[in-house]
Amino acid sequence: MNHTNRNFKLISETPSALAATVHDWLQQPGRRFGYLTARVCDGNTLAIQALLLDTHANGGVIITAPLADGEMEYPSITDGVPAAHWAERAIGDFFGLRALEHPRWKTLILHDGAWPSDLFPLSPMSHGHRESYEFMEVTGEGIHEIPVGPIHAGIIEPGHFRFSCAGEIITNLDIRLGYQHRGIEKRLTELPWQQTCYLAESASTDTAVGNALAHAAAMEQLLGLDLPPRAHALRTIALEFERLANHIGDIGALSGDIGYSAGAALFPPMRGAILALAQLLTGSRRQRYYIKPGGVVRDLDDDRRRSIKKELSDIETRLQELLPLVFENSSVIERMEGTGCITRELARDFGLVGPAGRASGSDYDARRYYPHGVYPEHAPKPAMRDTGDVLARAQVRTDEIQSSIRIVSELLDNLPDGPICIDCQEEALAPDDFGLGIVEAWRGELIHWVTTDGTGAISRYAMKDPSFNNWTGLAIAARGNLVTDFPLCNKSFNLSYSGNDL
Amino acid sequence: MGNPLFTIFKTGVITQRDMFPALSDDANGLPTVTVSPCPCNECGRCAKVCPAKAISVAGSAVTLDRGRCIGCNACVGVCSSGTLERDLSTQTAVATREELLLTSCPKPTTASMPTHLPFRRSMHIREVSTGDNASDLEVIASTNAIFDIARFGIHFVASPRFADALLVTGPVGRAMQEPLRRCYEAMAEPRIVIAVGTSAISGGLHSCGYAEANGVSSILPVFSFIPGDPPHPWSIIYGILMAMGRL
Repeated sequence: MNHTNRNFKLISETPSALAATVHDWLQQPGRRFGYLTARVCDGNTLAIQALLLDTHANGGVIITAPLADGEMEYPSITDGVPAAHWAERAIGDFFGLRALEHPRWKTLILHDGAWPSDLFPLSPMSHGHRESYEFMEVTGEGIHEIPVGPIHAGIIEPGHFRFSCAGEIITNLDIRLGYQHRGIEKRLTELPWQQTCYLAESASTDTAVGNALAHAAAMEQLLGLDLPPRAHALRTIALEFERLANHIGDIGALSGDIGYSAGAALFPPMRGAILALAQLLTGSRRQRYYIKPGGVVRDLDDDRRRSIKKELSDIETRLQELLPLVFENSSVIERMEGTGCITRELARDFGLVGPAGRASGSDYDARRYYPHGVYPEHAPKPAMRDTGDVLARAQVRTDEIQSSIRIVSELLDNLPDGPICIDCQEEALAPDDFGLGIVEAWRGELIHWVTTDGTGAISRYAMKDPSFNNWTGLAIAARGNLVTDFPLCNKSFNLSYSGNDL
Repeated sequence: MGNPLFTIFKTGVITQRDMFPALSDDANGLPTVTVSPCPCNECGRCAKVCPAKAISVAGSAVTLDRGRCIGCNACVGVCSSGTLERDLSTQTAVATREELLLTSCPKPTTASMPTHLPFRRSMHIREVSTGDNASDLEVIASTNAIFDIARFGIHFVASPRFADALLVTGPVGRAMQEPLRRCYEAMAEPRIVIAVGTSAISGGLHSCGYAEANGVSSILPVFSFIPGDPPHPWSIIYGILMAMGRL
């Protein structure tokens, strides 16, 4: 290994000792579980890999546990590290490896019915059959089930929610996703690296900038590139525009689910105003195909820089008028306060990220620790609340709207001169190495983890959307709430289904 | 707290009155092919840089498949002859898959208008998303006060049982094929399908993988194709009005 990524140490471990090693390593302050996945090592053997983050060191470790030839099981780490529970199920789907003693072992993405039960798309060998998916069954007097989806009533992505209710109160929510699985991780290993950026950002197209930036960060480590400061600044503006547009849209959508029409009517045009600025910067409202490894594809001239600056200041003034209409309205507050609570302890144990994590007392914001754009040098103070309810998640977004406007304004005032891109199309990726893009996208920590083989080709491309952590948060938050408050809970998380399904 | 009603009055009418305005000059738009034999003698740079395999070059004929194009405009950047250029029009929807193939040496074809259906005055739409949430966001944007799709009698409804049209975004991978089919079958006839966005039309970058995410056409008959990754809200409104027979 070349160790282009020197802040991440590589450790080898046996599968049987993995659970204890991971658990022990995480006991120090500032350390978090990042992701758990598997990959094919030389030829036909598989290895489990844990990515653990040490925020205090701006780095972490990658623990690799190679499995013996033909070994298809390993002891689950979920018991000590609950945040790994979905990751182990995903490994089961894609590699056919079983996590022994997993508390709720079943499929996560590739469910029976839709997929052949012997398809393990990321594994080189075939092995056995996948078991069928069993919904968690709640029994007791008066308990009834409400199945919802995969197709929902609104304009929203597909997923199945199975509510077990006592009267109007939700006692358990089983979330079954995977309907939008498109095979992105596999396809990314089949393309020349120069073409991967387009597909990588399509993982969840509402997070195009976040995904493109995480991809670029990983690739630039593998290419050994240092970007010009202007490219970093322009990328940061795009990232913050994406956060602004979506957070503003979420405040409007929360108003809509509360039945507060004024908020639902007034915020979408504000989101549109941000999208217009995004188009000025990148050429498209959704900022598609703007960030590439090496930099960005178009420069910001002085005229457009000035118009963005002026428009943004108008938007800020307007928001100062609009936000109190929501946050000082007692009937709106009453619906949000105490609804969909998740405690600090559960948020920590399940590794919630982004606004959902920070609304439950976490101070984790990847902008403070991992390099992307102008971060971590110019990271904002994390926006935090500790009540963990819908209101807290909305308030965290409001704080972040304000900090993002400030970040963009400052960057526009102090935009460094110089080139916006380094041409790296002819370069080769470092062989037998890895690149890690860890980005604070608008939903939270987004990871692209790229591993190359001996020829410099991508042998494993693992993606972890922030939603992958947070779906469990939604299932926990919904418990004990009214079925009628579920849309509000759901909207307060506003998770990506496609980023989870890949 | 301010008065919400006062704020709404003060905001005034923000709905765009101009129908299908072209995108502003700072936008990428979708590339288009100018009608003249390409003088580059098969330089093929446009086809080489296209990440979506949307361009083919044969002699002096350059063909661009807008059903695969993701709008990155890399081709326009490398085209030195002006054969490929930016198109800022939002009137991009068509009624057949063939009309999405733009070529520099066109054969005589007639642009087909869709068969007349009884949706002229109003259309109720069930939206199904299958893996392209940016297109969903642009569909949602078409309902906001700026675009106000409801003024045309177009409404998004909660059940396929209420719907005249099924609007699909995303490439329809294996796990969404059966739910999508069932949704269509739940609709009363006459019913139509509208594909919104590159991935819904052809699967785009997702096509030809093990997930069989090759677009809506492989599952259901498509009545109107709205290209773009994602299409602009005005392009979406244009495509729906075209399907209604209102253009």
